Amino acid sequence: MTAPGPGGDSGGARILDQGYRGYDGERRGVGGAVRAVHRAAVQRALGLKRSARYKVVPLLVAVLSFLPAIVFVGAVALLPTSFRDELPFGYSDYYGYITAAIVLFVSFVTPEVLCTDRRTGMLGLYLSGPLDRLRYLLAKAAAVATVLAVVTLGPTLLLLIGFTLADTGPAGALDAARTLARIVASAAVVNIWYTTLSLAVSSLTDRRAFASAGIILTVLVSSAVVNALVENGLSAQLRLLDLFGLPFDLVRRIYGERGSGSITELSTASMALAATALVALFIAVLAWRYRRLEVTK
Amino acid sequence: MVIQAAPGPPVALGGPAVIAARGVAKGYGAAPVLRDVTVDVAPGVTGLLGANGSGKTTFIGLLLGLHRVDGGELRVFGLDPARNGAAVRARIGYAPEHHRLPPDIQALDLVRHLAEVHGLPPREAMSRASDALWQCGLGEERLRPVGTMSTGQRQRVKLAAAIAHDPRLLLLDEPTDGLDPAQRDAMLALIRRIGREFGIDVVLSSHLLDEVERTCDNVMILAGGRIIAAGPLAELRRGASGVVVELERGADAVQARLLQAGWVVQRDGARLTVAADPAHEAAAFDAVRDAVAGGGGAIRRLHPRRASLEEVFLGATA
Repeated sequence: MTAPGPGGDSGGARILDQGYRGYDGERRGVGGAVRAVHRAAVQRALGLKRSARYKVVPLLVAVLSFLPAIVFVGAVALLPTSFRDELPFGYSDYYGYITAAIVLFVSFVTPEVLCTDRRTGMLGLYLSGPLDRLRYLLAKAAAVATVLAVVTLGPTLLLLIGFTLADTGPAGALDAARTLARIVASAAVVNIWYTTLSLAVSSLTDRRAFASAGIILTVLVSSAVVNALVENGLSAQLRLLDLFGLPFDLVRRIYGERGSGSITELSTASMALAATALVALFIAVLAWRYRRLEVTK
Repeated sequence: MVIQAAPGPPVALGGPAVIAARGVAKGYGAAPVLRDVTVDVAPGVTGLLGANGSGKTTFIGLLLGLHRVDGGELRVFGLDPARNGAAVRARIGYAPEHHRLPPDIQALDLVRHLAEVHGLPPREAMSRASDALWQCGLGEERLRPVGTMSTGQRQRVKLAAAIAHDPRLLLLDEPTDGLDPAQRDAMLALIRRIGREFGIDVVLSSHLLDEVERTCDNVMILAGGRIIAAGPLAELRRGASGVVVELERGADAVQARLLQAGWVVQRDGARLTVAADPAHEAAAFDAVRDAVAGGGGAIRRLHPRRASLEEVFLGATA
């Protein structure tokens, strides 16, 4: 067989064995690695580039968390002005409507983002690149926080924009800036709390289902136990250990409200201190688990 | 046979040592895993040979900077991997021993993502991931989810992921584990090609002697947490040079004549092994010729004596 020459039937086509190409271009180092892990984790959590069944939970949670905001904005826009003041549509109340969505989402997202890597051996592959354990965990925490911001920040921002367009928003630039700051601060509190708590629980097991159940049980059981004890006459200070309610109680304080029931007995400073200490504890659990984790096997 | 693991001047094969270890020790709790590991790894394909549990994976972990040495000094590309971990790891390709990989991700996506994690910009990562999978023989399979792949294909995916970012050094932990003989041959050929043609230095850990023997230029043998032999394969084998002659008949007479002439002869049935250092190998051949001619022997087979790595290994562990 002779190879067709230029101008032959093949039009001069040749098969080229390119061999191996070296790479002398840009290398993005640790920063590039963190961004790559962050992006991949966010995509995975949201079910992007994955089959439809992985998109169900993120979509459901998005609907659950945005629906009240859409209804409120619609109601405010449509109802006569005289009714508006009686509507229970404050920014501080909003998390009350979507706590279930937040806990459901975090119990789905964090195990997916963290446990999967240990189970599939990806952790070893990641840590054999420029990342170290700390930066790996930072990238993962940032991914959880990014995804969680969809539900902790998105709806309240929508509320602010909707109310402003319907002329019931903040009066003046200063009020608008203060409201925006409160919305962002509230989202940050809820976000940091649930990100660190869920990472700590997820670090304790390689199995996603156990981690999901663990996150839900941790917040619900601690809340139920604390509430039962306080109702039976024990100190209201115990509410500082309500892992479910504490961040949402703090959000009320950010809006200058004291809340209702026994929580009013607690000072904002003690709540902030307790929340900080508990977040530090969650981070310590995570760091302890990952410090000595064997990754080359 | 005496085999010396360095200390001494570094083994130089066309360049400085890729890896240099001086008295490296590492243990977990009270149990020492590596003790006084002193070795220079020259460029090329190097076999890290040792029984299971001899400390191979721990040594690889140290090279990656995933653990800190308890004592001694370790340098990869002249850098301390525990202190300059990110810089060292950015230029290492690592394929772990296990075959667990994310099952629901396409091979191409996985390799591309790991190339990005090693610092390549997204566009480059995509094109190099595709190239690497073609080089590893998975071009047609690159869009398949890893979970649907056989063990052999997963080993190739791991290899593709390890070379996609154009590393200077490739660390392969038991890369033929779980492969059938044909797949093993193909994998070893690929590794040789990576070492020879791609210009990437390779450290290949294995507990299989023949695998290392067929693939590697250099060998280091780990036993009981120590390097018991290290150097170019050809040099390690040289300790057992000479001539082997297998005779149809007349073995007794030939042996007697060789002994008479002052040669050291070992006999195993009709096979005589005449020990001689490489400088005297030609003289040994002449002596065998004369002894066979004089003793009325008939030769079935005649060849230079080349120690297998197994002999080196057994000699060193004895």
